[in-house]
Amino acid sequence: MAAERPRVDRSVSPPPREIRPFQFPPFLRTRLPNGLAVIAARLPNLPLVSLELIAPAGAQYDPPERPGIATLTSSVLDEGTALRSSLEVAAMAERLGGYFTTGADWDVGYLTTGLLSSHRREGLDLLAEVLTAPTFPPEEIDRLRRQRISEILRRRQDPSALADERFHREVFRGTAYAEPLQGTEESLSGLDRDALLDFYRGHYGFDGSTLIAVGDFDPAELLRETEEVFGAASSPGSVTPRPEIHPTPPREVSVHLVDRPGAAQTELRLGHVGVPRTDPDYVPLLVLNTLLGGKFTSRINLNLRERHGYTYGASSRFSTRQGPGPFTVNAAVETSAAGASTREVLHELRRVREALVEPEELAETVGYIVGVFPYSLQTVGDVGRRLETLAVFDLPDDYYTHYLRKIAAVTREEIQEVALRHLDPERIAVVAVGPAEILEPQFEGVGPVTVWSPEGEPRAAQPLRSS
Amino acid sequence: MSSHATNLNLDLQRHTLDNGLQVVLHRDASLPLVAVNLWYHVGSKNERPGRTGFAHLFEHMLFQGSANVGTNEHFRYIQQVGGVANGSTWYDRTNYYETVPAHHLDLALWLESDRMGFFLPALTQENLDTQRDVVMNERRQRVENQPYGGAGERINDLLYPPGHPYHWPVIGYMEDIAAATLEDARAFFSSYYTPNNAVLSVVGDIQPEDALERIESWFGEIPPGPPVSPVVPVATPLGGERRGMIPDDVSLPRVYIAFRAPAYGQREWYTADLLAAVLAGGKSSPLYRDLVYGRQIAQDVGASVGPQECGGTFMLVATARPGVSAAALEEALLGHLAAVAAAPPDPADLERARNRMLTDYYSGLQRLDTLADLFSQFATYFDDPAAGLAEAERYLDVTPRELMEYAATWCTEPQRVVVSVVPRKAS
Repeated sequence: MAAERPRVDRSVSPPPREIRPFQFPPFLRTRLPNGLAVIAARLPNLPLVSLELIAPAGAQYDPPERPGIATLTSSVLDEGTALRSSLEVAAMAERLGGYFTTGADWDVGYLTTGLLSSHRREGLDLLAEVLTAPTFPPEEIDRLRRQRISEILRRRQDPSALADERFHREVFRGTAYAEPLQGTEESLSGLDRDALLDFYRGHYGFDGSTLIAVGDFDPAELLRETEEVFGAASSPGSVTPRPEIHPTPPREVSVHLVDRPGAAQTELRLGHVGVPRTDPDYVPLLVLNTLLGGKFTSRINLNLRERHGYTYGASSRFSTRQGPGPFTVNAAVETSAAGASTREVLHELRRVREALVEPEELAETVGYIVGVFPYSLQTVGDVGRRLETLAVFDLPDDYYTHYLRKIAAVTREEIQEVALRHLDPERIAVVAVGPAEILEPQFEGVGPVTVWSPEGEPRAAQPLRSS
Repeated sequence: MSSHATNLNLDLQRHTLDNGLQVVLHRDASLPLVAVNLWYHVGSKNERPGRTGFAHLFEHMLFQGSANVGTNEHFRYIQQVGGVANGSTWYDRTNYYETVPAHHLDLALWLESDRMGFFLPALTQENLDTQRDVVMNERRQRVENQPYGGAGERINDLLYPPGHPYHWPVIGYMEDIAAATLEDARAFFSSYYTPNNAVLSVVGDIQPEDALERIESWFGEIPPGPPVSPVVPVATPLGGERRGMIPDDVSLPRVYIAFRAPAYGQREWYTADLLAAVLAGGKSSPLYRDLVYGRQIAQDVGASVGPQECGGTFMLVATARPGVSAAALEEALLGHLAAVAAAPPDPADLERARNRMLTDYYSGLQRLDTLADLFSQFATYFDDPAAGLAEAERYLDVTPRELMEYAATWCTEPQRVVVSVVPRKAS
């Protein structure tokens, strides 16, 4: 019944229609008289709210003899308060139709809850209670410590965890970043209630903390409620100045094999120290990394996966932290191709330093980062994470107003400059977790090889010269 | 909880093109994005023994180009405009999806229609060889080189008889993946990748009439394929408990207890899902309270039921603390099952489980791609995309007594499969 429709032209990709511009959601950012910062954004689509409190209490503050103290302190926060036991805190959050979690990454300790927006006020009350009145029950500390030691045992058979741990130990030798976030068997046994209380009092003060709220509410009303709830509470303690993390750069490529005889595949990590999130080169580095290993059509993935079929997937990233996080290339590869995969990755790192990237390649990469931005802002949690970035890295309110424009302005020359400045294939650590006997001959000529047991004991005759 | 449903925009449009392609449209303009989602009603259950893993390998092949799209160009076209794309394969279906800036809707439709209508000319031995290697590495990464990675296969192997399509793993067996031929690929495509065996959902910043017209233009000329007959497997009763033990490179034993469950969509399936959430969802659930928190014999606990068309799998799992045997853990898990089969669970546990599930469900609906996938799923399985928006309500009137009856009926000893993964050195 309809008129004959003109046939579409399939031979070329169809042109876009008119673009509808995207704006980062407006938000309110302020500070209460007691020092607590508040960021709130309204997202009215569904009756949900996400509330997060962050404090300068991340694992970068772990003293050298106490790795794991930041994450353990954060885990114990919701294990009992002046008003509620551990299970009562969990039951309360679940009754509100949500979850309540606490934890720590390298930068911050966090308390997060996601709820139905009708329960927003009760959520704020629970956050305040857990932040300001935790009781650190000894039996809960003991239970969590034992649970963690079991977890460490389990990670010893997890090739991906083994690779990460060895890689960070090599790259960040002698700094807090070298130790696992969750601590070690030895360090955990020394973390008693007094140690955790000390850490809590020294890092969870209102002064350095931020509440981030996103969801179906009026931000002004939320601010008023936050004042009511937190204005009446006393600060849990003080804050501690951020430690400097300065790893010593290696002098050459080094290879570390973690031996898993009979393993079906090899986990690879390659990389070195990267840059802090606040480095002035962050934007061009983001573009460089996306092109190199940050999307499916990146150079490294197309090379290892689509050209050679060595892996199900390979990627690279600059981890964003307040201190200089790692630059890491990551892949699980066929064991017989571990050496070849390493050489291909080194080749890609050298190539992006030696020659300007193609103009189309840069345009595609910028198109990806700019276009995918709204996609990364669909949920209350998505928006919350972007606002958290502003707080953690002390970025200005208008950061996201200019962000996409700055990405779009990156040039081929800048990409090469930052590649020369921040990628160093001649001083890289290579970690391969797999059958050492099959792996070792493949790395001849790459760099000195050390073989490690999964428990972390060196086995090789050759000492590591770069340390 | 009714406040949720009233907040959802239920405005769905449904059409069927002349070639049988089902289309679901929904406008949500909160972001300048559009999600395009295609479900083909074909999964590993349409395979045969000796050629397992084919549906999944084929999913990889569909990203290798079509008549007008070069090898690997699919991802390049989507990513360069800021879109994301992927696909996945399951027992009963395969899906392909992309979310792109809304003004690039035609791009996504072009790519999806080109591979639905014009895939065979681009199918080459070279692409097949590379993707076979990629998939074998995917299998190594997900199964062989993963602690406890072999458990899922062993459970299905014991729970479903040989010849039953849930007997084999979705990713397939290594030797079958290696044996796949171009001929297999051609036949598979012609049988299943047809407009009459697919649902296309488009959700986001669209004008539905305009979107439908464009869908007609891109997909309307693709000829329908032969009718696809449903797979109707016969699963004879187990007739007694079956047990498996897998020595693995692990230090903590893990126990899985599995039962067949009702087909997805039946009322009892939702009862099973709720029972799983009651037993082990969250820190205040009885399994967590008792095994992890109280007795501290488990490192973690879990319970789940799979949404499968020909019957789900209801499963309990727990990992032991050091020094705790698989047998002790099994006994503890079975104790909880026996308790819930003998007396209805505490209504407070039920209420908490239900609240958590609803929040999770509505949290998922924040994403356009999840919404589009849900519409395709409900259109594919139940011929009713809108029912996806009301699925959460199916949990509301399940009673504690029904949970008890479910456990007493479906989770008995002769229907049970127990698989334990134990440290190799100790075995």
